[in-house]
Amino acid sequence: MDLQLSDTHVKFRDELRAWLKANMGRPWREELRDPKANEDSLMELRRGWQRKLYEGGYLGMDWPAEWGGRGATEVEKSIFEAEMSSADAPPILNSLGIGLLGPALIHHGSEAQRRRFIPPMLSGDEIWCQGFSEPGAGSDLASLRTSAAIDGDHFVLNGQKIWTTFGPWADWIFVLARTDSKDRYGGISFILCKLDTPGVTVRRLRQITGESEFGEVFFEDARVPRENLVGQIGEGWRIAMTVLAFERGAMGLAASERYGRDLRLLAQTCKELGREGGAVREKLARLLVENEVLRANGLRMLANLADGKVPGPESSIEKIFWSEFDKRFRETALDILGPGGQLLRTSPEARPDVDWSREFLWSRAGTIYSGSSEVQRNIISKRVLNLPQEGR
Amino acid sequence: MKFDLSEEQALLQSSTRDFLGSELPLEKTRNVMEHQPDGYEAAQWRSLADMGYIGLTLPATANGQGLGTIELAIVLEEMGRVCAPGPFLDVVLAASLLAASGKEAALLADVVHGKSLVTIARQDSPFSGNHVQPARFENGRVRGTKYFVPFAARTDALLVTTPQGIVLVRAPYDVVPLETIDLGQRFAEVKLDNEGTLIGGPELLEKVDLLGAVGASAMMLGLMSRSLEITLGYVQTRQAFKRPIGAFQALQHRMADMLLKTESTRSAVYRAAWCLDTGDKDTKLACATAKAYAGDAARYVCGEAIQMHGGIGFTWELDLHFYFKRAKTLEQFYGSTEAQLEKALAAAGW
Repeated sequence: MDLQLSDTHVKFRDELRAWLKANMGRPWREELRDPKANEDSLMELRRGWQRKLYEGGYLGMDWPAEWGGRGATEVEKSIFEAEMSSADAPPILNSLGIGLLGPALIHHGSEAQRRRFIPPMLSGDEIWCQGFSEPGAGSDLASLRTSAAIDGDHFVLNGQKIWTTFGPWADWIFVLARTDSKDRYGGISFILCKLDTPGVTVRRLRQITGESEFGEVFFEDARVPRENLVGQIGEGWRIAMTVLAFERGAMGLAASERYGRDLRLLAQTCKELGREGGAVREKLARLLVENEVLRANGLRMLANLADGKVPGPESSIEKIFWSEFDKRFRETALDILGPGGQLLRTSPEARPDVDWSREFLWSRAGTIYSGSSEVQRNIISKRVLNLPQEGR
Repeated sequence: MKFDLSEEQALLQSSTRDFLGSELPLEKTRNVMEHQPDGYEAAQWRSLADMGYIGLTLPATANGQGLGTIELAIVLEEMGRVCAPGPFLDVVLAASLLAASGKEAALLADVVHGKSLVTIARQDSPFSGNHVQPARFENGRVRGTKYFVPFAARTDALLVTTPQGIVLVRAPYDVVPLETIDLGQRFAEVKLDNEGTLIGGPELLEKVDLLGAVGASAMMLGLMSRSLEITLGYVQTRQAFKRPIGAFQALQHRMADMLLKTESTRSAVYRAAWCLDTGDKDTKLACATAKAYAGDAARYVCGEAIQMHGGIGFTWELDLHFYFKRAKTLEQFYGSTEAQLEKALAAAGW
């Protein structure tokens, strides 16, 4: 047992820290609070930041060298995420392209597809969104109904995708669509579609935060060239599942860095406001302890990755832990702050350090996306606890 | 980096499991707890000592094995799994305190060899709070009453905390048993008006307290992990509505949470042990975290285990209540949750 970063990893982390110091502008929280900022300008800022990271060699680090990779492992990727969190760096714009589609193309795409799509994906010139969920297919993704009928050398797409993050800003969408209505898993194909294709409409969805980071995408006889099929017809489900596995990594560590920073700021605020009674201190202490457990889980995951272990269902434990903790943390923060915690960040009276009201609302999303807490508990009971499944 | 146990550590784990499996199976433990007024058997204590467990973390100069907190956690986790009765952790902590004082080498050797029993007497009241005058050490004598002294009836000496420092008091002293819910952890009220020897200041307890927090947490981890195993076995066989009850999602999701809390405790406990062994800057926060979290998690997991068994879970006949009770005892001693939360805040500088 050894939880110390190896010398190579320490070197990687220190170089990254130095690079961030030289290249990162304002922390993300300050960008968000800039009175001149709006949704579009923030997206452009994220695009620019992504380009910088790409030029610095920090995107696609684990990809083959010809696609910008540098032989990085899951450990370095996890350290990267934790350091980004800790520095409060702006999130990149093309996270779905780089996180999901990039690995899909590298493992299942054609050489022509890789050459066509990967460079602009990395540079941020082409932004991708993910077309998986549908109004009738969320946790039960395989019940998706968007169809792709073959017509000569085109697919004709019909249907609707929803909760499409970055939809309103994306240039392209990767779609899971039905090429066979009878075969539940084997009838799904993985297709790339340009969003300005005739018959494709993107509509913004307003989230509970008032923002529209996600949207819905409608396909009405949208014609997509056959060369935009990734892998073979009917391989879509398999590709999607292997690709989703790349979303893993020591997420908990990055999350605990972010929560840890916000918690420190909350503790300082409490001092400032004279909120130092026993009830408040107990709340703070319990949050601190839980966040440290999250950090310990993250370190364990990181150590397992470094030890050459492929993360299994324990990533479900990490997912439940950070997303459920996020809700408790943000709710408690508002309790402690009093009504001022509900102020929007544009209010002159709002706390300048953390956008508490937005975090409070955002925390409701984490237990729904990327496999809801309920789905994660199903995964644990099936794959870790080996419980009988017939009682559903 | 590596989270898994090393080969030597894994060997210690399996040999301890084998040893406890033959020395302290639950049916034997049940008998000891119910019928042996001391809560443990002298023969078992001697074999623990013979195996070198008592001096596990002590240096070779103190007849110890020179192993670390991780190894101690491994052993205590195994003891938790079998709900081992007896003063093991209490004596390990007393020995560690004696070793830190650099005094009473002969007594320490006897403790390590299982010939003498020493525990630490700390509580000045049966209840939390500072509503009573603590025991005092003046003119070579300790005067006052200590409560919840672990296994006091069997001790040859006590390490008594006083505002003046830690004082070694040798038996005899006036011992009144305190009966509690946990039959494997015997406590007593000790009335002291005895000669004593000052062995050091209160600061000696600092390291011992960190060790106690991690040790108790490791034992709770064992309690949880075994309670969950027992429950998983039961829900696969117990039938209701023509299917094993483990097939019901209402129970599955709660068992998923039991696993989440057990494994998160494992991460926290072994991280804290590793921090102690390497002198990491986060040691104090990590130890307080482990104990505060484990306390809540163990009560939850061991409590849910009873719930999932239904009526049989509430019977004396089933073993689960021993786990539930031990979880509560460990939660309140070795630094209660409340005390650990204060320590966590202090460590963070809040």
